[in-house]
Formats: sequence, structure tokens, C-alpha cells
Amino acid sequence: MLAEKYADRIEKIFSKYPDKRSAIMDLLYLAQEEYGWLSGDALEEVAALVDVDPTQAHSIAGFYTMYSEKPKGKYWFQVCTDLPCALRGADDFYQALCEYLGVEDGGTTEDGLFTVEQVMCLAACDRAPMMQCNFHYHENLDLDKVKALVEQLRQEAAAAQGE
Amino acid sequence: MTETVTFYIDGQAYQVAKGTNLVDAAKMHDIDIPVFCYHPKLKPVGMCRMCLVELGSLSVNRETGEVERDEHGEPVFRWFPRLQTACTQVVTDGLAVRTTTEAVVQGRNSILEFLLTSHPLDCPVCDKGGECPLQNLTMGYGPGESRFLIDDKIRLDKHVPLGELIYLDRERCIQCARCTRFCDEIVGDDVLAFHERGRRLQIVTISDPPFDTKFSGNTTDICPVGALTTADFRFGARPWELQEEATICPHCPVGCNLSAGTRLDRDAGGKKIIKRIMPRQNEWVNEIWICDKGRFGHHHTRAEGRLEQPMLKQNGAWVPIDWPAAYDLVAAKLRQYGDSLGVLAGPSLSNEDLWELRKLAGLVASEPKLGVWPAAMTGGDLVAQVGVGSGTMLRAVGPETAILVIASDFEEEAPIWWLQVKQAADRGAAVVVANARPTKLDRYARAVVRYRYGEAVSVLNGFAAQALKDKSLTGKLSESRVAGLSQLRAALKGVKPAFGDAGRMLLSAENLIIFAGGEGLSVAQHRELMQAAANLLILTGRAGRANSGLVAVWPGANMQGAYDLGYSAEATQALLDTPPRMWIIGAANPVAEDARAARAITGAEFVVATSLFMTPTSEAADLVLPRQSFAEREGTFTNGMRRVQRFYTVQGIIGDSLPDWKIFAAIGERLNGPKARISAGAVMKDITAHVPAYAQASYPRLAQVERQFPLVGGDDLYYGGTAYFNLSGLGLAIPPVAEDGSAQLEVRPVTVDAPASTDADLSLIPVRVLYDRDVLFEPSRLMHHRVPPPSVELNQADAERLGIADGDRVAVEGDGYQITATARVDGRAPAGYALLPVRLSSTPAPTTPAACTVRKIGE
Ligand code: SF4
Ligand code: SF4
Ligand code: FES
Ligand code: FES
Repeated sequence: MLAEKYADRIEKIFSKYPDKRSAIMDLLYLAQEEYGWLSGDALEEVAALVDVDPTQAHSIAGFYTMYSEKPKGKYWFQVCTDLPCALRGADDFYQALCEYLGVEDGGTTEDGLFTVEQVMCLAACDRAPMMQCNFHYHENLDLDKVKALVEQLRQEAAAAQGE
Repeated sequence: MTETVTFYIDGQAYQVAKGTNLVDAAKMHDIDIPVFCYHPKLKPVGMCRMCLVELGSLSVNRETGEVERDEHGEPVFRWFPRLQTACTQVVTDGLAVRTTTEAVVQGRNSILEFLLTSHPLDCPVCDKGGECPLQNLTMGYGPGESRFLIDDKIRLDKHVPLGELIYLDRERCIQCARCTRFCDEIVGDDVLAFHERGRRLQIVTISDPPFDTKFSGNTTDICPVGALTTADFRFGARPWELQEEATICPHCPVGCNLSAGTRLDRDAGGKKIIKRIMPRQNEWVNEIWICDKGRFGHHHTRAEGRLEQPMLKQNGAWVPIDWPAAYDLVAAKLRQYGDSLGVLAGPSLSNEDLWELRKLAGLVASEPKLGVWPAAMTGGDLVAQVGVGSGTMLRAVGPETAILVIASDFEEEAPIWWLQVKQAADRGAAVVVANARPTKLDRYARAVVRYRYGEAVSVLNGFAAQALKDKSLTGKLSESRVAGLSQLRAALKGVKPAFGDAGRMLLSAENLIIFAGGEGLSVAQHRELMQAAANLLILTGRAGRANSGLVAVWPGANMQGAYDLGYSAEATQALLDTPPRMWIIGAANPVAEDARAARAITGAEFVVATSLFMTPTSEAADLVLPRQSFAEREGTFTNGMRRVQRFYTVQGIIGDSLPDWKIFAAIGERLNGPKARISAGAVMKDITAHVPAYAQASYPRLAQVERQFPLVGGDDLYYGGTAYFNLSGLGLAIPPVAEDGSAQLEVRPVTVDAPASTDADLSLIPVRVLYDRDVLFEPSRLMHHRVPPPSVELNQADAERLGIADGDRVAVEGDGYQITATARVDGRAPAGYALLPVRLSSTPAPTTPAACTVRKIGE
């Protein structure tokens, strides 16, 4: 349970806001960090912490694309395909990425490592195609660059597994 | 006085109170600014852009400070370059708006075209079709044709259950957030919200149970499209086929005004039946809201098993008899047992029924014992003295008013009052909640007072003692107007105010409303509580004023009426102490609800009961007479605030059933009583002649209406929603005696009995829940998911001591009763007490506090 495991952090989060309710977004991040995604149980847990109905936590998690209410791969690729990026070939790039990983739009690779997803503008339009991997920016991408990244991440994951 | 300002609509000057919302201000002068997301009872959000207008202000010469005028002497305005949302604008002096210019027409047109791109346009099968704001505004302001490519239309789920009562059609939702804002702002149940955004946005709930609020149906009234529909009415009929009939909710003391949509229905053999219940606007009572019990709890009116003929028990079997035979029999029995007659009047008998029953009993007994059922609360006579004054309107009270809710689980017992008191708290009223255990209203209270069951009276005495210390509050009272004043002063001398802060809040506001329930009190203790409340109101000079006074949170719709007509719980107690040989039981089910009453009734020699169904009480009777439900007849109820309200005939009659008043009057005729009246209105005429408080309450007077705001229904349904415009009467608030400045008032010191200590494990406290198995509610099957199983709530410590865990099956036993129930250990019961929700179990249990033992039993 978050409340026990992260008592200090939660206390600190609460201290930043005038009322409990306002802390909900920080706590959702905390839950996502802990569980990898926001399950129904996680939403309930966070809602109970700030004393709102779980529906409110569900609503916020649904509104912001940086929360995920579905299980995710270890690496979460969020590719911007909004208009400016699309003009610089983001659509084709995304297509190629999906084919390379062998997944559908929004899907996760069979080994559970990679999830791909299209998102709205991430404010790096001048360096498109671009994407976030676990909230870190990767810019001016093409298929080769992303292949290299995927390779590297696979090795990291394998190494982590081996330990 | 509120300041008024002048503003201009399309060149014409109007006056309105400063700070009024622009859409409302226009509406007050009968000018429409079309809206979708704005609702006059909600805060503006500016989400839909339907209300676009041109805004401007009077042009004032900077040097002279004078309003500039054109050559015709007309004032000149400066206009903003772009269209603005009217709903987010507050009227200020000199504000100007244009609602008919080309730009505005274009704006509305475009917004509608835009909304319709993603709308399914399935009006022919949509429940809202015919009373849909989107339809109406499209006809009025929309484009005549669509430029949208049908193939690009998004298709979404059309039957998404938001719980068992409300369905969502995702395609129809125009994302106005009226429903979610209603839940958040008005009710405070944040169980409905948006999920995702853009075209994928949808309304969701994941509360447990889903859409967990007692007010969910109201969202379907204010939803401006057919996105939210009720399980009760979905695909049930088209709105234009319905004939709307005015009625009053029979379930609780709030007395919400209802409109019953009826039609001749094939499924009911061509009879006129209720297809749906909607709120009917009465800003004095329920505004435009009702709770889900009122909305969905109408199925008893035509449920299977309704009695259709008088039934006589002969050698243990029921045989139908005709009415004349039934009248003769009761008359004969009354002649025989008249000197030992007990009368029990249920809470849904109308004033007319109660009057004829009282007259009937008076024909055979000089001082008939007129009891009420349930007999858990008393003091209606005190409400008549110090009830709320004329002009009391809960929806308008704010910081100048303090509200005390004592000994009541308010939301369960009077949902719409709860809703209004919660909103009063939001507006700054000082709400104090006093109870022996937590209740939902605590959340909104400025102060919460905890006492031990049985000691509620001492809380009020403490406030009274505190008031006495403040000469500005109590100095002006004169002995000549208030009898018993010096005795009360003397008795309160030694009392220490225990809850100073709460007391200060209650006493420092100009007005004080006290809502008194009966939880944890015997009838005798409840009389003391009501008296203590009356003392406090009289001492502080609050009695007899608008937005001040005493309200009893009765267990039923017309118990105040029963008290006004001479019935009481004390009479019931006396009858149970010395059971009579004959009973007349009108519309009550004591045999199922109370073990002691069950014994007293089954032991009698002759019992006649009027009833809708074969209940345990009818089973115990010798003669059962089929009564009519509130839907098949006319009558009046007096609500807890003493507003007498009329209900009208709504549906076709079931079988040979009759209204109670007719039955009692016909029996009276056979006992040489006066000739039976021909209508309920004529009975009320008798009441007005004999009961001074009701002198003005004639049927024509009760049917009077006045213009109410906000406007709803008809052409205004885009604005206030589909609640029904009230054409049939706002009722009449009976002023309390204290309002007459020369009337003599009386106070009396009250004492607190320390709760008797017993050897029993625990004290059993009957508590009320909204969704119970009452005769009037049980037949509404769609609500069964919300009716809890028979349960008993225990304190953690007691549960541990007894080896009982949450969810265990337990036996609850005491003197003369035993029930089985599910144990709940959820932190609400104080140590030493077992809380027993009433009217859930099929075996009778006490209806006032009693000793009990609780033990675990096997599966
Ligand atoms: S369901 Fe109705 S009230 Fe709720 S947001 Fe959609 S259109 Fe508005
Ligand atoms: S609050 Fe009471 S009177 Fe109003 S609808 Fe609900 S049960 Fe009926
Ligand atoms: S549009 Fe892709 S980052 Fe701005
Ligand atoms: S934006 Fe004004 S009514 Fe919706």
C-alpha cells in the first residue's frame, strides 16, 4: 500500500497544497511509478488518500495522456503525430516503428518490453519526428535511430533480468 | 435592499438586481438567450458556446462623465469586437447586449452545426424526443441542413449503464457537464465525471455501487439531450403521449411536488397508469429536484397483489365480500366494541382520511384513542406552536440563518431537505449536526456535536442555558407572554453549556431552524426533546419568524397532518400498554414492523385494516378493506414544514378499491353519522370549518400558483430542464401559533433521563434508511439493488468481544423479539449500541430503543 510504503513522500506532497484534493495528480504519478500503470485498485487507493470518489481519480487519469490506465510495457513510446509533426513525416515514422516492433497502434510487444502510442503535441515540433520514452524526449528521429534505441533498451532489459 | 442596475438588451433598458447572471437577467424579462451548459441552479462554466452574444457598455464621455447620445437622444454603446458567452457574464450598470444581430445568429447557427456533426440524430427512438433542448434550439436557431459527411460520423456505445437506474447514450452526449456539476455542486456526491477528452470524452462512474447517489434521476431532467435516461422510463412512451398529472410524493415528510406522466397503457389492459414520475417545481419545497425514492418508488400503485375487494376471514380462509356487507360488519363491531376501540393511522393517510377516521371513532367513543403509526416520534402539537414562520424558504437561506439537525440521519430520512441544508451550508449558513453517531451531513457541518443516545435533550438544554446568559437574546421575554418562563430559567440555572462553540454559532445567527429526528429516543424522551427545542426557540425569540422554527423529521409523508388533526404517538403507546378489543388500522403495517404492536393487535377480538396489499398486518386482521394509493384519488398531505399540499387523481382505479375517507364515512353513515361527503374537497371544507389552523386550506386556495424562477419545462426546458412547471398549486404554509404576536406561548423545563442500565449486552437503536421494505416502496423492483439486506451495525469493540466480524450472520434478540441479520462493523455504531435499520427485516423488531443481545449464528 502506498500509504505505508511512501508515508513521508505522501506527507510532503500534501504539504505543497492548500487542500488534500489538489494533491491527486502527484499521488497518481506516485501510484503509476509504483505499479507501472493505474489499475482500478490503484485509482481507489489514491482516491481514498485524498478523500474523493474513485470516479474523480479515474477522470483525471483519463484526461492526461501521461497517466496510463492500461498495463504498459517496460518502455513506453509516445510518438507525437499532431499536425506539425505530421507535416514532418511523423505518421510514416510511427507506421514504420509499429511494423518494426510488430505491434498495432497502441499495442505492446509480445515480450512485454515496448508499448507504442500516438499523442498530441509535446512541444518539440521543430525536432519532429519525436517521441517520449518513459517521459524522456528523443528527437529528430528516423527508423534507424529508433532501431538503435530499441536494441539498446533490449540489452539493458536483458542485463537487468540477468542480475 | 439589493441594489438594482440598468442594462440594455437590443437597445431596450431593463432593471435587475446587481450581480444577476446575464442569461437569468434576460430570462427574467422573458428574453431567451439559448444555452446548453448553463443552468440557473449551477455555476456557469462557459463550455458549450451556445449563448454567444454581442456585449458592450454605455459609452461615457471621459471628461464630462455623461452618457454619450446620438442625434435621436438614444444612448451610444461601445461593442466588443468578438462574440462573448452570456452565461459567464454578470450584469453591471450600463451593460449592453445584442441578441439578434447577424453575428449572433451566425454564431448560434455554427455552434449547432458543430454539435450536430457528432450527434446521432436518432430522435425517432430517443426518449428525449419531443422535449429535447437540442431539438428545440436546432429548430429555433440551427442550420436547416447538414454539410457533414455521414461516413465520417463517429459511432459510440448507446446503452452504457451508469448503475441500474440511469443509462448513458454516448453518441447523444454534448459534453455540457450539467450532470457532473449537479452531482458535485448540488449534491456533493462526486461520483460522475468526464473521462478522456475530445471526441473520446465520456461520462463515467466507478463508485461502488455505480452512480452512488440518492439523487441520480435529476441528471436526466437537466441533461439537455437524450444522453441520460432512466431505467424506469427508457423506451416506455413518447413524451407527447403523456398526460401530466400533479401529485405529491407519499414517501417522506419533505412532500416533494411531483408530476406523473400517465397514459392509457396496453400493458395495463388499457388502463391509465403512471409511466414516469418527474419533479414539479415548487421553490418553497423541493425546487426542481426529487430523490430517487420519489422518482422510482411509484410501482406500488399498480403492482401485482393490489387488493381489489373487501376480504373477510372466515374459519381461517379469506372470502371476498361486497362493500355494503363490509360496512355493515364494521358498524356492528363498532357498536359492540366502541368503548374499547384503538385507531392506528399510517403515515400516508391524507388529511381527509384522517378526518373521516377521527369522526368515525368519535361516533362510538367519547374520547377515542387516535394513534399514529409508526409511533416513534411525537410533538406535532409543539410544531404547531413554534414551527417555521411564514415565508420560510430553505433554498434561500444563507449566513443569516443557523440550522441545527438533531437525532436524525438526515439524508436517509428527508433527502431533499438534506440537499437543501447542504447547499445552505455551502452558502454560509451555520449548520450544526448533533447525533450520537456520524452521519453524512457531518461533512458539511460547521460544528458536530456528539452525545450519548438518550442524552440529546441535554444538548438542547445546554444551548438554552447558554442563551440565558446573553441578555440581548433573552432579556426582552415577558412572563405574561411566555408561561413557565421563571420555572425554566430556574431549571436551567445549574445547567452547564457543554458545546459552547456550536451554541455560539446557533445563537449568533439571526434565524434558527431546528430539524429534530427521533433516533435513539423513546416516545416520552422524544416529547422532551421537542419541548427542549421549543424552549430554545421561544427563549431566543426565534419562534414565529421566517426561516426560524421547529421541524419534525417524521417517519412518513403526513404525520404532521395527523398531529394537526388530533392523533399522537402517545395515544399509540397507551393503546399498546392496554390493548383494546377492536382495532381500526388505516394504511399501516405495525404487525410487520414492531413486535409489541404485533402482540397487541393479534390478541384483539376484531381487527379491520385498510391496505393496498396483503401485508402481515392484513393477515392478522379479520376484515381487510382495499384502499386506494395516492395515485387513484385526490387528497392533501401536510409536510414537515406544515405546508398543506394537494395531490390529484393520476391513474385508473384498481379493482373496487376506495379512498380511506370514503370507507370511513360510509361506515359512519351506518352509525347514524352525517351523510358522507361526495368529494375529498368537500371533506377538506369540513376540516377548514372545524380546525382553526386549517381555516384557509380550502382546495381552491391550495391550487393557487405564482410565477416561479427559474422557468422550467415547455419552451423553457433548454433553460431549467424538464421538471414540470407548476400549474396545480404551491400549497399553503400554515403559520405557527407563535407568529401571532399576542398569542400565549408556553415553556416547560425538561429533564434528561439517564439511559437505563440493563444487564443486556447492548442497547438496540432503530435507525431509518431511505431504501427500505416499506409497503409503498418494496414493489418498485428496479430499486431492489439499493435496498440493503437486514443488517445490524455494531461497534468494533463490541463486535470483537462477541466474536463477530463484518458480514457474519447474527441473531438479534430481546424481550419478545428475535431477528436474524447481517452484522456490519463499519465504525458508525457507538460502543454499547447496536444500530438496527428499520423496515428491512420481515420479522418484527422494536421501533424504539430496547435492550438486546447479539450473537453469531451459523450460515
Ligand atoms: S450526459 Fe447530458 S448532462 Fe451529462 S454532459 Fe452529456 S449532455 Fe451534458
Ligand atoms: S425527498 Fe422525500 S418527498 Fe421528496 S421525493 Fe424523496 S422521498 Fe419523496
Ligand atoms: S506537434 Fe508534435 S511536438 Fe508539437
Ligand atoms: S457557454 Fe454559455 S451556455 Fe454554454
